[in-house]
Amino acid sequence: MARIETVGEALARQGVSRRAFLKFCAATTSLMALPPSMIPRVAAALEAARRPSVIWLSFQECTGCTESLTRSDSPTVEGLIFDMISLDYHHTLQAASGEAAELARTQAMEENWGNYLVAVDGSIPLGNPGYSMIAGVSNLDMLQETVEGAAAVVAVGTCASFGGIPHANPNPTGAVGVGEIVTDKPIINVSGCPPIPVAITGVLAQYLTFGQLPEMDELGRPKAFFGQSIHDRCYRRPFYEKGQFAESFDDEGARAGWCLFKLGCMGPITYNACATVKWNSGTSFPIEAGHPCLGCSEPNFWDKGGFYQPLSEVEWGGWAQLGTAAAAGAAIGAASALAARSKQKKAREEEV
Amino acid sequence: MSTHEASVSRFQALVAGLAARAPAPSGSESERVERAKGVFRKRLNAGMALNLECCLHCGMCAEACHFYESTQDPKYTPIHKVEPLRRFYRRELGPLRWLHRLVSHDVSLQQLEQWQELVFDSCTECGRCDLICPMGIEISPMIGVMREGLTEAGLMPAELAGASAEQIEDGRVLGAGVQEFDAMVGALRGQGVDVPVDKDQADVMVLTTALEIRMWPDALAALAKVMNASGANWSMRRAAFDASGFEYTSGNAQARRAMTRKIIDEAAACGAKTLIVPECGHAYPALRWKAADEHGAPLPFEVLAISEFIGREIDAGRLKLRKSANGGSMTYHDPCKVGRLGGVFDEPRTALAAMGVELKEMESHGKTQYCCGGGGGVMLIDRAAPLRKRAFEIKMRQVDDTGADAVVTSCESCRMNFAIGGDGANWQTPVKSLVQMVAEHLD
Amino acid sequence: MTLLDFARGPAMQWAFVIFGIGVGWRLVGMFLLLRDRAKATARRDAPVSDGTRAIIMRSLPAKELEHHIVFQHVSGYAWHIGFFITVLFFGPHMPFWKSILGFDWPTLPSEVITVVGAITIAVLISLLVRRLSHPVLRVISTADDYISVIVTILPLLTGLISYANIGFNKETNLALHLLSIVLVLVWFPFGKLMHLFLAFPTRYKAGADYGRKGVAA
Repeated sequence: MARIETVGEALARQGVSRRAFLKFCAATTSLMALPPSMIPRVAAALEAARRPSVIWLSFQECTGCTESLTRSDSPTVEGLIFDMISLDYHHTLQAASGEAAELARTQAMEENWGNYLVAVDGSIPLGNPGYSMIAGVSNLDMLQETVEGAAAVVAVGTCASFGGIPHANPNPTGAVGVGEIVTDKPIINVSGCPPIPVAITGVLAQYLTFGQLPEMDELGRPKAFFGQSIHDRCYRRPFYEKGQFAESFDDEGARAGWCLFKLGCMGPITYNACATVKWNSGTSFPIEAGHPCLGCSEPNFWDKGGFYQPLSEVEWGGWAQLGTAAAAGAAIGAASALAARSKQKKAREEEV
Repeated sequence: MSTHEASVSRFQALVAGLAARAPAPSGSESERVERAKGVFRKRLNAGMALNLECCLHCGMCAEACHFYESTQDPKYTPIHKVEPLRRFYRRELGPLRWLHRLVSHDVSLQQLEQWQELVFDSCTECGRCDLICPMGIEISPMIGVMREGLTEAGLMPAELAGASAEQIEDGRVLGAGVQEFDAMVGALRGQGVDVPVDKDQADVMVLTTALEIRMWPDALAALAKVMNASGANWSMRRAAFDASGFEYTSGNAQARRAMTRKIIDEAAACGAKTLIVPECGHAYPALRWKAADEHGAPLPFEVLAISEFIGREIDAGRLKLRKSANGGSMTYHDPCKVGRLGGVFDEPRTALAAMGVELKEMESHGKTQYCCGGGGGVMLIDRAAPLRKRAFEIKMRQVDDTGADAVVTSCESCRMNFAIGGDGANWQTPVKSLVQMVAEHLD
Repeated sequence: MTLLDFARGPAMQWAFVIFGIGVGWRLVGMFLLLRDRAKATARRDAPVSDGTRAIIMRSLPAKELEHHIVFQHVSGYAWHIGFFITVLFFGPHMPFWKSILGFDWPTLPSEVITVVGAITIAVLISLLVRRLSHPVLRVISTADDYISVIVTILPLLTGLISYANIGFNKETNLALHLLSIVLVLVWFPFGKLMHLFLAFPTRYKAGADYGRKGVAA
């Protein structure tokens, strides 16, 4: 059931101090690359905001996105956001189940028609609807039905943004991202497998503050978090520049923290905030832990060759193919030369 | 009168009537182009294909060519001189010919006419460009193919066409027929020089040149004296005595074949195992390298340039020379056809050393020496005179820079060209014949 | 499929196929033409050693020939050497070579390669300017010459741009760099880049032909 409490009232009720709240606002403001002068505005907006209704639809997903968002050891800023929204429908987090759960969804839609946010994780199968059904309703139908009265849609994770893992070759379910189905509502893609938690909360906070969508890149991802490549913010970049690379896992270079380009790092072509914001409250991120970036926030990241295939390795076809091509060329060349020879021989024979 | 003037005016008298003898080109425009193409079609081979395919258009060949260097005119770039041949090859025989036919124009008579000057007036087939090309392209043989093609299309320059006509129709060059030969031999014998002719059996068959018969009797006398001094069983043949025809008919395959045939037959007739080519340029590679191809098999005799023979005989101790008395220094001009295109460098120098000559080598000597600019019949072409004059300035500078008192060479075309060029520039440096020097120093 | 996927995948595959067919066609189409074996007795019978010697020595012409061509000769070798250093000794190129040859080798620091690459481009551009202005080169140059030099500069240029991360985003820069390689491979059999293969047989032949006459060419 939707509550009409403001965010400020909800926080006060929960015993969150003003100071803690302002710290959150400062962090959120800077994460959205807004100047410090905007902090009061963010604070005022959040405080007075009516907690908007958020309907979270989970389709062909692994629940990793939710896990990422909710995984925390102690109360964190990410956790706070749940107190700023009214999460009216979420398979993993809601108490209700069965028809009561579906009723919660439809009621939230009715009561907040035109104003609620739809968050989606997981891809939608366009093949046989039987691949993924909820309460007897196909994912496609539920998505289309639910977004009708939505103010905006947030596609959480690479599956919802671009199709993700189910979309990978041969895509047996015909999985697609939200953007391929919903065309008449604003969509924010917060990709990543899973996305960085603050990317999700930052987007929501932005929306709550300004009632507007953040500035997005050509793939519909908020530029605040997806505007720079891992490569451009990677702390190992000096090693790339110098040409010092790890050649294999646990070799000298790897242990010295050298660039992981040769081990298949997709950093140069991946846009995310991992290198700056990092994971687990800024603990580390894959490259720092010694593993090349998988490029998980990019479309088709499962189908870009192997994860350990360096970007400079190409599908050149192999020696057998090259040899066959050369042989075919040689055959044509031989035919060409034989024709020329016979022309010449004839001309020479005519000579007295 | 300059040192050279006498030779020059005598030579000019000899060649005066040639242009008038040139036959008119026959056939329509397309027929003439077809005949040229027929030559290209026959003569191209895998080696030339490779050469034509791998040119990088770097332009370095121009920097080796005396005609380009002296004029800085880019049309004299050696590889540019074979452009019609390249175009033909790419459109007709090359592996990508279907593509090239779409993107290039066919060889035309207009183009061949433009190229007449480039392959006849401004190329002596000297081969210096062959040495500098970073890809190893042999341009000089392809110039020969171009010349043959243009000749078939009726585009041989009049003077050369006249000389070819004389060879084909009268069997002689520059008026040096059998009668003139007999007269010259008689005159020399009258002076006490033994000149064996038409011996039944001779180990060595010796050729002379039209220039020796018509204007340089001393040269023939020297040749005979040297041969006699060597003790070889040698003879000349009345039916085939002239080596120089190859020079003036360069490009006329028919004329060349006729001359080669006669020489081979005559050598067989007396059982000669060695053929001596006198101080003539073009004849040496024509007989030493090309004749066997036309014959279809290695020749049944060894071909030696006279300077080569002299050097060998000196090394073997059969020819003994006195040291020179006059003490002046000399520089040796390697004739292109005997040196770079013939492979004879050491033997002439052996002879000079045996005569105690102080040899001062030019900066470009041996295989890199500069062509004198007169070979390949270029000397005959009247309109090419200004160009030849410019090119010869390089040679004069090279000689002058050595500080030598005289030039010695072993080719009459070179000697003639030095005379013409020197006369025109009022250059006083004497030019000597190696054979005549050797004859003067016989011990 | 992104531009990079295309460049690394289908485009590169087809490039190698076209390269293979084209090179096979052109080389065999040339080598199987009629041969004229010289019949005259050779003065010197050592074609293999003469030919092999010429392959190396043709790069070192006689002093009296060299001083006419020094600038071009030295520039030509300078950019070729720079090109090969850049292609063969840049770290990120190693996975490319390893996937083709099956082995890799030590590389040079990437800053060094940047400098070498930049110098190579500068030399190439200076030679292009020379080609456009020198009287001899203006007469003998063809479309092939201009296309080939541009096709050669593009990988160096796109490589530098990609490494320096300027212009487009890294993914596009990388894609353009790989596409410039595709262009090299596709153009290769049709133009003068074939001299990579042809230089050796022609130098050999010149060495052997002149060698049999007794002239070290």
